[in-house]
Amino acid sequence: MTPTPSDKKRTSGNPATRANLELTVKQQRELQKQEKLAEYQRQLARRRRSRLTWWIVGATAAVAIVAVVAASIAFAPKPVTYQAGGTGAAIDGVETFTNTTQHVAGTVDYPQNPPAGGPHNQYWLNCGIYDQPQQNEYAVHSLEHGAVWVTYDKTRVSDADLDALTAQLPSSYVILSPYEGLPTPIVLSAWNAQLKLDSAADPRIPSFFEEYWRNQNVPEPTSSCSGAVDGPGKQS
Amino acid sequence: MTAPEPANGRALPPWWAVLLVALAVAALAFAIGRFSTFAAAGAAAAPTSDSPEAGFARDMQLHHGQAVEMAMDIYRTTQNDGVRVLAYDIATTQSAQKGEFYDWLVKWGLPQSGGPLMAWMDAAGTSHPHGGGAARPTDAELMTQMGMASAEELAAMRAQSGTTADCTFLGLMIRHHQGALPMAQALLRLGHEPRALAVAQGVIATQSAEIDLMTSLRAGLGCTG
Repeated sequence: MTPTPSDKKRTSGNPATRANLELTVKQQRELQKQEKLAEYQRQLARRRRSRLTWWIVGATAAVAIVAVVAASIAFAPKPVTYQAGGTGAAIDGVETFTNTTQHVAGTVDYPQNPPAGGPHNQYWLNCGIYDQPQQNEYAVHSLEHGAVWVTYDKTRVSDADLDALTAQLPSSYVILSPYEGLPTPIVLSAWNAQLKLDSAADPRIPSFFEEYWRNQNVPEPTSSCSGAVDGPGKQS
Repeated sequence: MTAPEPANGRALPPWWAVLLVALAVAALAFAIGRFSTFAAAGAAAAPTSDSPEAGFARDMQLHHGQAVEMAMDIYRTTQNDGVRVLAYDIATTQSAQKGEFYDWLVKWGLPQSGGPLMAWMDAAGTSHPHGGGAARPTDAELMTQMGMASAEELAAMRAQSGTTADCTFLGLMIRHHQGALPMAQALLRLGHEPRALAVAQGVIATQSAEIDLMTSLRAGLGCTG
Protein backbone atom coordinates (compact mmCIF):
# COMPACT_ATOMS: atom_id res chain seq x y z
CA MET A 1 0.00 0.00 0.00
CA THR A 2 1.30 3.28 -1.02
CA PRO A 3 0.99 5.80 1.70
CA THR A 4 -0.80 9.00 0.64
CA PRO A 5 -0.07 12.04 2.58
CA SER A 6 -3.42 13.17 3.96
CA ASP A 7 -2.34 16.69 4.56
CA LYS A 8 -1.39 17.16 0.95
CA LYS A 9 -3.82 18.95 -1.38
CA ARG A 10 -5.13 17.60 -4.68
CA THR A 11 -2.75 18.39 -7.40
CA SER A 12 -2.90 18.48 -11.17
CA GLY A 13 -0.58 18.42 -14.14
CA ASN A 14 -2.52 21.34 -15.73
CA PRO A 15 -1.09 24.61 -14.40
CA ALA A 16 -4.43 26.46 -14.80
CA THR A 17 -6.35 23.87 -12.88
CA ARG A 18 -3.57 23.79 -10.46
CA ALA A 19 -3.86 27.55 -10.06
CA ASN A 20 -7.59 27.25 -9.51
CA LEU A 21 -7.15 24.52 -7.08
CA GLU A 22 -4.71 26.63 -5.28
CA LEU A 23 -7.26 29.52 -4.83
CA THR A 24 -9.14 29.97 -1.65
CA VAL A 25 -12.96 29.90 -1.59
CA LYS A 26 -13.04 33.65 -1.22
CA GLN A 27 -10.83 34.09 -4.18
CA GLN A 28 -13.01 31.75 -6.24
CA ARG A 29 -16.13 33.76 -5.47
CA GLU A 30 -14.35 36.90 -6.43
CA LEU A 31 -13.42 35.34 -9.77
CA GLN A 32 -17.02 34.29 -10.46
CA LYS A 33 -18.15 37.82 -9.74
CA GLN A 34 -15.59 39.18 -12.18
CA GLU A 35 -16.76 36.78 -14.86
CA LYS A 36 -20.40 37.82 -14.36
CA LEU A 37 -19.42 41.45 -14.65
CA ALA A 38 -17.47 40.82 -17.83
CA GLU A 39 -20.47 38.96 -19.27
CA TYR A 40 -22.76 41.84 -18.32
CA GLN A 41 -20.45 44.32 -19.99
CA ARG A 42 -20.29 42.20 -23.11
CA GLN A 43 -24.08 42.16 -23.22
CA LEU A 44 -24.13 45.91 -22.70
CA ALA A 45 -21.70 46.41 -25.58
CA ARG A 46 -23.76 44.13 -27.81
CA ARG A 47 -26.90 46.06 -26.98
CA ARG A 48 -25.09 49.33 -27.66
CA ARG A 49 -23.91 48.00 -31.01
CA SER A 50 -27.41 46.90 -32.02
CA ARG A 51 -28.79 50.28 -30.96
CA LEU A 52 -26.19 51.96 -33.15
CA THR A 53 -27.25 49.71 -36.04
CA TRP A 54 -30.85 50.77 -35.49
CA TRP A 55 -29.88 54.42 -35.51
CA ILE A 56 -28.00 53.99 -38.79
CA VAL A 57 -30.83 52.03 -40.41
CA GLY A 58 -33.42 54.48 -39.10
CA ALA A 59 -31.53 57.56 -40.20
CA THR A 60 -30.89 56.09 -43.65
CA ALA A 61 -34.56 55.19 -44.02
CA ALA A 62 -35.58 58.67 -42.90
CA VAL A 63 -33.27 60.33 -45.40
CA ALA A 64 -34.47 58.02 -48.16
CA ILE A 65 -38.11 58.72 -47.39
CA VAL A 66 -37.54 62.46 -47.27
CA ALA A 67 -35.75 62.20 -50.62
CA VAL A 68 -38.60 60.20 -52.17
CA VAL A 69 -41.19 62.70 -50.91
CA ALA A 70 -39.08 65.58 -52.21
CA ALA A 71 -38.70 63.85 -55.58
CA SER A 72 -42.44 63.21 -55.78
CA ILE A 73 -42.96 66.95 -55.43
CA ALA A 74 -39.97 68.20 -57.41
CA PHE A 75 -40.47 65.92 -60.41
CA ALA A 76 -44.24 66.27 -60.64
CA PRO A 77 -45.25 67.19 -64.22
CA LYS A 78 -45.68 70.94 -64.42
CA PRO A 79 -48.91 72.36 -65.78
CA VAL A 80 -48.49 74.56 -68.86
CA THR A 81 -48.20 78.14 -67.72
CA TYR A 82 -47.51 79.93 -71.00
CA GLN A 83 -50.58 81.51 -72.50
CA ALA A 84 -50.47 82.90 -76.00
CA GLY A 85 -52.09 86.27 -76.29
CA GLY A 86 -51.39 87.81 -72.94
CA THR A 87 -51.23 91.46 -72.10
CA GLY A 88 -48.19 92.20 -74.21
CA ALA A 89 -46.17 93.02 -71.12
CA ALA A 90 -43.71 90.32 -72.14
CA ILE A 91 -42.68 92.26 -75.27
CA ASP A 92 -40.91 95.51 -74.63
CA GLY A 93 -42.60 98.48 -76.28
CA VAL A 94 -45.96 96.92 -77.14
CA GLU A 95 -48.85 99.31 -76.55
CA THR A 96 -52.30 97.90 -75.87
CA PHE A 97 -55.65 99.60 -76.30
CA THR A 98 -59.34 99.05 -75.77
CA ASN A 99 -61.28 99.65 -78.97
CA THR A 100 -64.93 99.08 -79.78
CA THR A 101 -66.07 96.89 -82.63
CA GLN A 102 -68.98 97.73 -84.91
CA HIS A 103 -69.66 97.92 -88.62
CA VAL A 104 -69.95 101.44 -90.03
CA ALA A 105 -70.10 102.98 -93.48
CA GLY A 106 -67.77 105.80 -94.46
CA THR A 107 -64.55 106.89 -92.85
CA VAL A 108 -63.61 106.54 -89.19
CA ASP A 109 -61.40 108.81 -87.12
CA TYR A 110 -59.16 106.27 -85.37
CA PRO A 111 -57.50 106.98 -82.00
CA GLN A 112 -54.29 105.16 -83.00
CA ASN A 113 -52.00 105.86 -85.96
CA PRO A 114 -52.08 103.51 -87.78
CA PRO A 115 -55.35 102.12 -86.40
CA ALA A 116 -55.21 99.10 -84.12
CA GLY A 117 -58.92 98.32 -83.83
CA GLY A 118 -62.21 100.17 -83.65
CA PRO A 119 -65.30 100.58 -85.86
CA HIS A 120 -64.80 99.25 -89.38
CA ASN A 121 -66.39 98.56 -92.75
CA GLN A 122 -68.58 95.54 -93.35
CA TYR A 123 -65.99 94.38 -95.91
CA TRP A 124 -62.63 93.23 -94.67
CA LEU A 125 -59.42 93.61 -96.63
CA ASN A 126 -58.16 90.30 -98.02
CA CYS A 127 -54.86 89.50 -96.37
CA GLY A 128 -51.75 89.65 -98.53
CA ILE A 129 -48.82 91.73 -99.70
CA TYR A 130 -49.75 95.18 -101.02
CA ASP A 131 -47.47 97.82 -102.53
CA GLN A 132 -49.97 100.64 -102.13
CA PRO A 133 -51.59 102.20 -99.07
CA GLN A 134 -54.85 100.59 -97.94
CA GLN A 135 -58.17 101.84 -96.65
CA ASN A 136 -58.12 101.86 -92.81
CA GLU A 137 -61.76 100.81 -92.46
CA TYR A 138 -61.22 97.58 -94.43
CA ALA A 139 -57.89 96.69 -92.83
CA VAL A 140 -59.26 97.18 -89.29
CA HIS A 141 -61.94 94.57 -90.05
CA SER A 142 -59.08 92.15 -90.90
CA LEU A 143 -57.45 92.92 -87.55
CA GLU A 144 -60.78 91.96 -85.95
CA HIS A 145 -60.35 88.52 -87.60
CA GLY A 146 -56.88 88.05 -86.09
CA ALA A 147 -54.65 89.45 -88.83
CA VAL A 148 -51.53 91.50 -88.18
CA TRP A 149 -51.19 94.66 -90.28
CA VAL A 150 -47.56 95.44 -91.05
CA THR A 151 -47.22 99.03 -92.19
CA TYR A 152 -44.05 100.75 -93.33
CA ASP A 153 -42.94 104.20 -94.37
CA LYS A 154 -41.82 104.01 -97.99
CA THR A 155 -39.46 106.93 -97.54
CA ARG A 156 -37.66 105.40 -94.54
CA VAL A 157 -37.56 101.68 -95.40
CA SER A 158 -35.16 100.52 -98.14
CA ASP A 159 -36.02 97.74 -100.58
CA ALA A 160 -33.56 95.44 -98.80
CA ASP A 161 -35.20 96.19 -95.44
CA LEU A 162 -38.62 95.60 -96.97
CA ASP A 163 -37.43 92.20 -98.25
CA ALA A 164 -36.06 91.37 -94.79
CA LEU A 165 -39.41 92.37 -93.27
CA THR A 166 -41.44 90.39 -95.82
CA ALA A 167 -39.32 87.27 -95.23
CA GLN A 168 -40.45 87.21 -91.59
CA LEU A 169 -44.18 87.23 -92.34
CA PRO A 170 -46.43 84.18 -92.03
CA SER A 171 -48.16 82.99 -95.20
CA SER A 172 -51.65 83.91 -94.05
CA TYR A 173 -53.49 86.39 -91.82
CA VAL A 174 -51.07 89.21 -92.51
CA ILE A 175 -51.39 92.47 -94.45
CA LEU A 176 -48.26 94.28 -95.59
CA SER A 177 -48.76 97.76 -96.99
CA PRO A 178 -47.03 101.13 -97.13
CA TYR A 179 -48.63 103.78 -94.92
CA GLU A 180 -48.26 107.54 -94.97
CA GLY A 181 -47.52 109.49 -91.82
CA LEU A 182 -46.23 106.66 -89.63
CA PRO A 183 -44.61 107.61 -86.30
CA THR A 184 -41.72 105.16 -86.94
CA PRO A 185 -40.44 103.46 -90.14
CA ILE A 186 -42.31 100.22 -89.35
CA VAL A 187 -45.40 99.62 -87.22
CA LEU A 188 -46.95 96.22 -86.43
CA SER A 189 -50.64 96.43 -85.55
CA ALA A 190 -52.93 93.72 -84.24
CA TRP A 191 -56.40 94.18 -82.74
CA ASN A 192 -55.78 96.36 -79.64
CA ALA A 193 -51.98 95.95 -79.73
CA GLN A 194 -49.24 97.80 -81.53
CA LEU A 195 -45.44 97.83 -81.76
CA LYS A 196 -43.51 100.74 -83.29
CA LEU A 197 -40.15 99.78 -84.82
CA ASP A 198 -37.16 101.47 -86.39
CA SER A 199 -35.72 98.43 -88.15
CA ALA A 200 -36.75 95.22 -89.90
CA ALA A 201 -33.97 93.48 -87.94
CA ASP A 202 -35.68 94.16 -84.60
CA PRO A 203 -35.79 90.88 -82.62
CA ARG A 204 -39.21 91.78 -81.24
CA ILE A 205 -40.86 91.16 -84.63
CA PRO A 206 -41.04 87.33 -84.23
CA SER A 207 -42.10 87.80 -80.59
CA PHE A 208 -44.95 90.08 -81.66
CA PHE A 209 -46.15 87.50 -84.19
CA GLU A 210 -45.94 84.73 -81.63
CA GLU A 211 -48.04 86.73 -79.20
CA TYR A 212 -50.54 88.60 -81.39
CA TRP A 213 -50.86 86.87 -84.75
CA ARG A 214 -54.29 85.15 -84.77
CA ASN A 215 -54.62 85.97 -81.08
CA GLN A 216 -57.60 84.35 -79.36
CA ASN A 217 -58.62 87.64 -77.71
CA VAL A 218 -59.65 89.36 -80.93
CA PRO A 219 -63.43 89.69 -81.38
CA GLU A 220 -63.61 87.06 -84.19
CA PRO A 221 -60.54 84.86 -83.84
CA THR A 222 -61.22 82.14 -86.44
CA SER A 223 -62.86 84.25 -89.12
CA SER A 224 -61.48 84.38 -92.63
CA CYS A 225 -58.97 86.85 -94.01
CA SER A 226 -59.86 86.11 -97.63
CA GLY A 227 -63.00 86.15 -99.74
CA ALA A 228 -63.87 89.84 -99.19
CA VAL A 229 -62.15 92.71 -101.00
CA ASP A 230 -58.72 93.04 -102.55
CA GLY A 231 -57.25 96.49 -102.10
CA PRO A 232 -55.20 98.30 -104.72
CA GLY A 233 -51.70 97.04 -105.50
CA LYS A 234 -52.12 93.44 -104.30
CA GLN A 235 -48.96 91.46 -105.07
CA SER A 236 -49.82 88.11 -103.48
CA MET B 1 -29.54 50.62 -11.94
CA THR B 2 -31.15 53.42 -14.00
CA ALA B 3 -32.16 51.66 -17.21
CA PRO B 4 -35.25 49.54 -16.62
CA GLU B 5 -34.42 45.99 -17.53
CA PRO B 6 -36.95 44.06 -19.55
CA ALA B 7 -38.62 41.91 -17.03
CA ASN B 8 -39.86 39.16 -19.27
CA GLY B 9 -39.30 38.80 -23.05
CA ARG B 10 -39.12 41.95 -25.23
CA ALA B 11 -40.46 45.28 -24.07
CA LEU B 12 -42.64 47.46 -26.36
CA PRO B 13 -40.63 50.04 -28.35
CA PRO B 14 -40.89 53.60 -27.03
CA TRP B 15 -43.85 55.71 -28.25
CA TRP B 16 -41.67 58.02 -30.29
CA ALA B 17 -40.24 55.13 -32.28
CA VAL B 18 -43.77 53.99 -33.13
CA LEU B 19 -44.66 57.54 -34.14
CA LEU B 20 -41.58 57.87 -36.35
CA VAL B 21 -42.26 54.60 -38.12
CA ALA B 22 -45.90 55.59 -38.65
CA LEU B 23 -44.76 58.95 -40.04
CA ALA B 24 -42.29 57.23 -42.34
CA VAL B 25 -44.95 54.85 -43.65
CA ALA B 26 -47.35 57.74 -44.20
CA ALA B 27 -44.68 59.78 -46.03
CA LEU B 28 -43.79 56.84 -48.22
CA ALA B 29 -47.47 56.27 -49.04
CA PHE B 30 -47.83 59.97 -49.86
CA ALA B 31 -44.85 59.85 -52.24
CA ILE B 32 -46.06 56.67 -53.93
CA GLY B 33 -49.48 58.26 -54.33
CA ARG B 34 -47.93 61.28 -56.01
CA PHE B 35 -45.75 59.15 -58.27
CA SER B 36 -48.76 57.12 -59.35
CA THR B 37 -50.35 60.27 -60.79
CA PHE B 38 -47.27 61.12 -62.88
CA ALA B 39 -48.07 58.77 -65.72
CA ALA B 40 -51.65 60.02 -66.02
CA ALA B 41 -50.51 63.64 -65.82
CA GLY B 42 -47.79 62.93 -68.36
CA ALA B 43 -50.24 61.33 -70.74
CA ALA B 44 -52.69 64.19 -70.25
CA ALA B 45 -49.97 66.83 -70.58
CA ALA B 46 -50.73 69.20 -73.41
CA PRO B 47 -48.62 68.83 -76.56
CA THR B 48 -45.75 71.30 -76.78
CA SER B 49 -45.17 73.96 -79.41
CA ASP B 50 -42.83 71.73 -81.46
CA SER B 51 -45.09 68.65 -81.22
CA PRO B 52 -46.60 67.03 -84.31
CA GLU B 53 -50.04 67.86 -82.91
CA ALA B 54 -49.25 71.60 -82.81
CA GLY B 55 -47.67 71.49 -86.28
CA PHE B 56 -50.69 69.65 -87.68
CA ALA B 57 -53.10 72.11 -86.02
CA ARG B 58 -51.26 75.09 -87.54
CA ASP B 59 -50.65 73.74 -91.03
CA MET B 60 -54.11 72.24 -91.35
CA GLN B 61 -55.69 75.59 -90.52
CA LEU B 62 -53.80 77.13 -93.45
CA HIS B 63 -54.68 74.15 -95.64
CA HIS B 64 -58.37 74.09 -94.70
CA GLY B 65 -58.53 77.88 -94.99
CA GLN B 66 -57.77 77.68 -98.69
CA ALA B 67 -60.30 74.86 -99.19
CA VAL B 68 -62.97 77.10 -97.62
CA GLU B 69 -61.95 80.00 -99.86
CA MET B 70 -62.06 77.88 -103.04
CA ALA B 71 -65.35 76.22 -102.08
CA MET B 72 -66.97 79.60 -101.33
CA ASP B 73 -65.73 80.89 -104.71
CA ILE B 74 -67.29 78.07 -106.71
CA TYR B 75 -70.42 78.11 -104.53
CA ARG B 76 -71.10 81.66 -105.75
CA THR B 77 -70.79 80.86 -109.45
CA THR B 78 -71.54 77.21 -110.16
CA GLN B 79 -74.70 76.15 -112.02
CA ASN B 80 -74.30 72.50 -111.05
CA ASP B 81 -76.29 71.29 -108.03
CA GLY B 82 -73.83 68.48 -107.27
CA VAL B 83 -70.87 70.85 -107.26
CA ARG B 84 -72.83 73.46 -105.23
CA VAL B 85 -73.76 71.05 -102.44
CA LEU B 86 -70.23 69.63 -102.40
CA ALA B 87 -68.85 73.18 -102.11
CA TYR B 88 -71.28 73.92 -99.27
CA ASP B 89 -70.21 70.72 -97.52
CA ILE B 90 -66.48 71.46 -97.89
CA ALA B 91 -66.79 75.11 -96.79
CA THR B 92 -68.86 74.40 -93.69
CA THR B 93 -67.04 71.20 -92.65
CA GLN B 94 -63.55 72.56 -93.09
CA SER B 95 -64.46 75.86 -91.39
CA ALA B 96 -65.67 73.94 -88.37
CA GLN B 97 -62.61 71.67 -88.36
CA LYS B 98 -60.29 74.66 -88.73
CA GLY B 99 -61.96 76.20 -85.68
CA GLU B 100 -61.31 73.03 -83.71
CA PHE B 101 -57.63 73.07 -84.72
CA TYR B 102 -57.43 76.71 -83.61
CA ASP B 103 -58.93 75.81 -80.26
CA TRP B 104 -56.50 72.94 -79.66
CA LEU B 105 -53.67 75.47 -79.67
CA VAL B 106 -55.63 77.84 -77.41
CA LYS B 107 -56.34 75.02 -74.94
CA TRP B 108 -52.74 73.81 -75.04
CA GLY B 109 -51.55 77.37 -74.33
CA LEU B 110 -49.58 77.54 -77.59
CA PRO B 111 -49.20 80.35 -80.11
CA GLN B 112 -50.96 79.97 -83.44
CA SER B 113 -47.67 80.73 -85.14
CA GLY B 114 -44.92 78.13 -85.11
CA GLY B 115 -42.02 76.70 -87.05
CA PRO B 116 -41.78 76.41 -90.84
CA LEU B 117 -44.64 74.70 -92.68
CA MET B 118 -44.52 70.88 -92.45
CA ALA B 119 -41.29 70.94 -90.40
CA TRP B 120 -43.07 68.80 -87.79
CA MET B 121 -43.43 66.03 -90.38
CA ASP B 122 -39.66 65.65 -90.83
CA ALA B 123 -39.36 63.02 -88.13
CA ALA B 124 -41.77 60.89 -90.14
CA GLY B 125 -39.43 60.96 -93.13
CA THR B 126 -42.24 62.21 -95.35
CA SER B 127 -40.66 65.55 -96.11
CA HIS B 128 -37.63 65.91 -98.35
CA PRO B 129 -34.31 65.58 -96.56
CA HIS B 130 -32.59 68.92 -96.27
CA GLY B 131 -29.37 68.38 -94.41
CA GLY B 132 -26.03 69.91 -95.16
CA GLY B 133 -27.26 73.43 -94.55
CA ALA B 134 -29.49 73.40 -97.64
CA ALA B 135 -32.06 76.16 -97.52
CA ARG B 136 -35.59 75.12 -96.68
CA PRO B 137 -38.11 75.43 -99.51
CA THR B 138 -40.12 78.65 -99.56
CA ASP B 139 -43.62 78.82 -98.11
CA ALA B 140 -45.06 78.82 -101.62
CA GLU B 141 -43.16 75.63 -102.50
CA LEU B 142 -44.24 73.98 -99.27
CA MET B 143 -47.86 74.97 -99.89
CA THR B 144 -47.63 73.32 -103.31
CA GLN B 145 -46.33 70.18 -101.56
CA MET B 146 -49.38 70.39 -99.31
CA GLY B 147 -51.56 70.21 -102.43
CA MET B 148 -52.61 73.85 -102.15
CA ALA B 149 -53.45 75.97 -105.18
CA SER B 150 -51.16 78.81 -106.18
CA ALA B 151 -52.40 82.39 -106.46
CA GLU B 152 -52.30 82.02 -110.27
CA GLU B 153 -54.39 78.84 -110.20
CA LEU B 154 -56.97 80.51 -107.95
CA ALA B 155 -57.08 83.54 -110.24
CA ALA B 156 -57.52 81.29 -113.28
CA MET B 157 -60.42 79.45 -111.65
CA ARG B 158 -62.11 82.73 -110.72
CA ALA B 159 -61.78 83.96 -114.29
CA GLN B 160 -63.61 80.90 -115.61
CA SER B 161 -67.32 80.13 -115.51
CA GLY B 162 -69.78 77.25 -115.93
CA THR B 163 -68.54 73.71 -116.40
CA THR B 164 -64.99 74.91 -117.10
CA ALA B 165 -64.83 76.53 -113.67
CA ASP B 166 -66.44 73.46 -112.07
CA CYS B 167 -63.84 71.18 -113.64
CA THR B 168 -60.97 73.42 -112.55
CA PHE B 169 -62.39 73.58 -109.03
CA LEU B 170 -62.77 69.80 -108.82
CA GLY B 171 -59.23 69.24 -110.15
CA LEU B 172 -57.72 71.69 -107.67
CA MET B 173 -59.78 70.34 -104.77
CA ILE B 174 -58.85 66.72 -105.51
CA ARG B 175 -55.18 67.69 -105.38
CA HIS B 176 -55.88 69.75 -102.24
CA HIS B 177 -57.51 66.80 -100.48
CA GLN B 178 -54.69 64.49 -101.58
CA GLY B 179 -52.25 66.91 -99.93
CA ALA B 180 -54.04 66.54 -96.61
CA LEU B 181 -53.57 62.77 -96.51
CA PRO B 182 -49.78 62.63 -95.88
CA MET B 183 -50.17 65.26 -93.15
CA ALA B 184 -52.87 63.25 -91.39
CA GLN B 185 -50.85 60.05 -91.82
CA ALA B 186 -47.75 61.74 -90.36
CA LEU B 187 -49.76 62.79 -87.32
CA LEU B 188 -51.01 59.24 -86.86
CA ARG B 189 -47.40 58.02 -86.89
CA LEU B 190 -45.93 60.76 -84.70
CA GLY B 191 -48.74 62.04 -82.48
CA HIS B 192 -50.10 60.94 -79.12
CA GLU B 193 -52.99 63.25 -78.24
CA PRO B 194 -56.12 61.08 -78.54
CA ARG B 195 -58.50 63.70 -79.99
CA ALA B 196 -55.91 64.83 -82.56
CA LEU B 197 -55.37 61.22 -83.66
CA ALA B 198 -59.12 60.65 -83.95
CA VAL B 199 -59.52 63.78 -86.09
CA ALA B 200 -56.55 62.80 -88.30
CA GLN B 201 -58.18 59.40 -88.84
CA GLY B 202 -61.43 61.18 -89.73
CA VAL B 203 -59.64 63.49 -92.18
CA ILE B 204 -58.18 60.48 -93.99
CA ALA B 205 -61.53 58.70 -94.18
CA THR B 206 -63.69 61.66 -95.22
CA GLN B 207 -61.27 63.32 -97.60
CA SER B 208 -60.56 60.00 -99.33
CA ALA B 209 -64.33 59.55 -99.77
CA GLU B 210 -64.64 63.11 -101.12
CA ILE B 211 -61.81 62.48 -103.59
CA ASP B 212 -63.85 59.55 -104.95
CA LEU B 213 -66.97 61.75 -105.13
CA MET B 214 -65.10 64.55 -106.93
CA THR B 215 -63.56 62.08 -109.36
CA SER B 216 -67.03 60.80 -110.27
CA LEU B 217 -68.39 64.38 -110.52
CA ARG B 218 -65.58 65.19 -112.95
CA ALA B 219 -66.48 62.12 -114.99
CA GLY B 220 -70.15 63.20 -114.99
CA LEU B 221 -69.24 66.70 -116.16
CA GLY B 222 -66.95 65.30 -118.86
CA CYS B 223 -63.93 67.15 -117.49
CA THR B 224 -60.67 66.63 -119.32
CA GLY B 225 -57.07 67.03 -118.12
